[in-house]
Amino acid sequence: MADILKPGQGLLYMKVGMHAQEGLEAIIERKTREIEEAGHALWGYGGSTCHPQTMVQPFAKGYERRGSRIYLCMEPMESSHFADPLRADEFSVDGLKWEEIPEAVNVLGSRYALVIKDLRKEEFELPLENTRVALGNSMGKSGSRYISGRVDKACLEIAEKDPSVPERTVHIGLVADIVEPYAVYVRNRRG
Amino acid sequence: MAEPKEIDLRLAINAISDVVQNRPRPLREFDQIYMKTGDMVLQSELVARWSDGKRLAFIGDGDAISICVAYLHKRDIINYGPSEIVVYDFDERICGAVTRFADMERLSNVRAELYNCLDAFPGPTNYDCFYTNPPWGASNEGESVKVFMQRGMEAVGYSGEGMVVIADDLDLEWTKRVLAKVQSYSIDSGFYVQKMMSRLHSYHLDDAPDLRSCNLVIRAVAGHEWTGNSVAISDPARLANFYGRENPPRVKYVREMKRLDYGKAHEDEYAFEMLEEN
Repeated sequence: MADILKPGQGLLYMKVGMHAQEGLEAIIERKTREIEEAGHALWGYGGSTCHPQTMVQPFAKGYERRGSRIYLCMEPMESSHFADPLRADEFSVDGLKWEEIPEAVNVLGSRYALVIKDLRKEEFELPLENTRVALGNSMGKSGSRYISGRVDKACLEIAEKDPSVPERTVHIGLVADIVEPYAVYVRNRRG
Repeated sequence: MAEPKEIDLRLAINAISDVVQNRPRPLREFDQIYMKTGDMVLQSELVARWSDGKRLAFIGDGDAISICVAYLHKRDIINYGPSEIVVYDFDERICGAVTRFADMERLSNVRAELYNCLDAFPGPTNYDCFYTNPPWGASNEGESVKVFMQRGMEAVGYSGEGMVVIADDLDLEWTKRVLAKVQSYSIDSGFYVQKMMSRLHSYHLDDAPDLRSCNLVIRAVAGHEWTGNSVAISDPARLANFYGRENPPRVKYVREMKRLDYGKAHEDEYAFEMLEEN
């Protein structure tokens, strides 16, 4: 946890809850099993704030080149998500070359997925004022101003603490390592 | 220019609605981000007034402002507009949408040409003005904006006017840096900034819903010489972060999957469950 909150560290913040009509506890259990069986899991999501190719991949590669990594930090919340639990059967790193998703890995009701390992329950407060959007059209914006309304996830960097700014924290309850190829497109071809 | 007539707002909005209905869905990986409809109405009227009686080249036009301008004029909702419009875009879906709409509505002064702005500009280079709303260059200090502007300047033979639509947000440092670089580039290229209309447009942009853009209107300084030699752009330094950090251009053209039932719901989106027969 201390590493995650170190200035300069990168993280992908995401609110999580029910997804494709499946409760969070059931998702955690299923993903943990997938990591044991396949060595990794795909954590499905949507929206362009963390687009696989234009946001997550370059963000994660930048840290990898510096010998570091980014973490997925999730804030559990009560939510409903009525997307159909359709299983994606193919994934692609670049949107051009598609590969079969292994049988052991199930990503449901999503367009994109993060590639994760070491999914764990870890509790701490993330001070959003001390974060900045790391790249893209909102680059440089404070995380506390960015995360609002329909924006519920972001690629963030921990900045130096500014004592003059009142603290707004979010409670992180779930963490995972994001591993190569970091984020992928997924699709359903079989129907 | 004719005395501007009073605009019937309902007719104008419904005309833009016709155009929006005809647009292909945006591809975010190429920074295709669509302007909100209310802003399109105002922008189209403004572009029509600015380019009245002139020959206008669009360097990319996912928003379909080109068609809006021509359609508002054709429908007599406004009584001014450019004499000729040519859209240059690397997305065949966009060129196809322009061509089909122009054909359907008999907009004889509008056409589209498939063109990737990394290639030499195909000409002609005697347009009066150009319009571009390029990738905004958050990750490349405006280099992607400059590439589109360069093609626009070539389209007018470095002797006309241009309208450049780029990000403009007081809270985001990168937009200020890009605006400064783009204005410097204009001056270095023999243009001056005639007008900047700040924070005018908003977009369907889920990762930056509050981000606005401005119109930067530039005009050539008289007497600027141009050799007329347009060349392809291949300098890796200009292209490394073209579509965002570490995302250089990889696609020459977006090709359209031709369909007989264009504009209708895709057959793979639905299935019929029939009424039971008695």
